[in-house]
Amino acid sequence: MIDFSMYDFKEPKIKAYKCEKCGTVYYPAPMICKECHSRRDPVTDKHWETFDLEGPCELLAWTRLWNLPEGYNRKFLLFGIVQFENGLRASGRLEVEKPATGMRLVATVEESDERPGKPVHVFVFKQD
Amino acid sequence: MSRVGVVGIGHTKFGNLSQYDLGDVMAYAATDALKDAGFLERRKEIDQVIVGNMASGLFCHQSAVASSVISKMDMEPVPAELVENGPASGASAIKIGYMAVASGMADIVLVIGGEVMRKVTGWTGTEYVATMLHPEAEYDMGLTLPGFGGMFTRMYMEKYGLTERDLALLAVKNHANGAKNKYAHIQAECTIEAIADGPEANVVNTYVAEPLRMYSTCPVSDGAAALLLVNMDSPKAKLFSKKPVRIAGIASATDTHCVHNRKDPLKLEAVRIAAEKAYAMAGLSPKDISFAELHDAFSILELAISEEVGFFERGKSFLAVRKGETAIDGRLPINTSGGLKSKGHPVGATGTSQAVELVRQLRGEAELGRQVTDPKYGMAVNFGGFGNNVVAMIFAKD
Ligand SMILES: [Zn+2]
Repeated sequence: MIDFSMYDFKEPKIKAYKCEKCGTVYYPAPMICKECHSRRDPVTDKHWETFDLEGPCELLAWTRLWNLPEGYNRKFLLFGIVQFENGLRASGRLEVEKPATGMRLVATVEESDERPGKPVHVFVFKQD
Repeated sequence: MSRVGVVGIGHTKFGNLSQYDLGDVMAYAATDALKDAGFLERRKEIDQVIVGNMASGLFCHQSAVASSVISKMDMEPVPAELVENGPASGASAIKIGYMAVASGMADIVLVIGGEVMRKVTGWTGTEYVATMLHPEAEYDMGLTLPGFGGMFTRMYMEKYGLTERDLALLAVKNHANGAKNKYAHIQAECTIEAIADGPEANVVNTYVAEPLRMYSTCPVSDGAAALLLVNMDSPKAKLFSKKPVRIAGIASATDTHCVHNRKDPLKLEAVRIAAEKAYAMAGLSPKDISFAELHDAFSILELAISEEVGFFERGKSFLAVRKGETAIDGRLPINTSGGLKSKGHPVGATGTSQAVELVRQLRGEAELGRQVTDPKYGMAVNFGGFGNNVVAMIFAKD
């Protein structure tokens, strides 16, 4: 028996981008730098650095969403928008007891296979 | 640039039309517009047909819907193309139609907006609509449009002191108008007791995306609306039975695809810029507007849009709603049709439906009890994405 899940397992990560020429950071990936107009090659990422977007962040907005689209077999999910210490922001899921705007969180990344198609990496913002 | 006017309007009743073909629904509204203009028999003299639709490929498993409509209406060989701009496809189709006439390439243009969304379940429909979000940074996370509506509402509440009851007041106001609109999906009034103040309110009006409740969220609807545009400076303008309602200003603007990448996520820059451009084109300012149709897919958007277009100071619009200033008999009636909340929101039809309402009000053809007294200028804002592609229109009774 082959357990396909054993192969090529990579810890889920979500990438942010940094323009090598001027140092501006982005999430999600841009095609062109808004500051110096450097273009990113989506195949090689040449002239762009990538780094994992994770760690401490602050909650800017949140909701408890009850009418989930097809594929999500749960009553509700919490979602939020956070800001990282480097100024980047991201949208994702929220797993906290009592969400409150302004609270300190830690961004983690998990794999989600709820929607049809290949599994995707999602942010899950958690309490420290 | 030639002046462009509307000489015919048509509108299906919004609701569950899932047993019908999308092309039939659009053709029905379009033939109504031609009849209204007294131009049905001469329809092959139309220079151009523009169809607005968001996602027939997903909702109806059908593509090239403009060609389908032409054939159903026996209008070959009239040119026909499709315009897609998410839930603002309808107003974008009008804008492209305007450009065709203003450029001199066409004198008579038929614009049709339509959508049939209820062939699929509500869950699947929400999923299809969510495909307009950023693919990796929003859609993959599991986010939907109501999710952004909920987050936006909470940010607004925490900053300006808006309450859930204020949102319920908007539903009461819009349902009062929609109850009298023969085209509305939900032609029923609702009371503040039933959805906010009474003991059963939390059951009747459940949460959808906290703090947004069901009565702060539009229904899923099917339907179509159509307009016949004409070059008012061409001799052809005399071919029509009705006096044209002039499109005084029409403009659109875009904003970041990701909501989180807006410097201030509470600012709807595309709304503000589209409105400013439309005012400039019309030579008007917010105080000239007699009534407005604002894209309340979520009730919070009626408030936020009414501030961005300059009707109210930022964070103050809901105080005007409390005083009844935007009710049908108020100083500035908003969503006289019932808005998306009561009239319904077949995504590709909404912009053309808003425009039809502007024409009905300016002609004095709205139903008794929801006709604005002698309006001169009507404004509509059709909101695409979560505010990343927005069209503003100003119509005038000359
Ligand atoms: Zn750069």
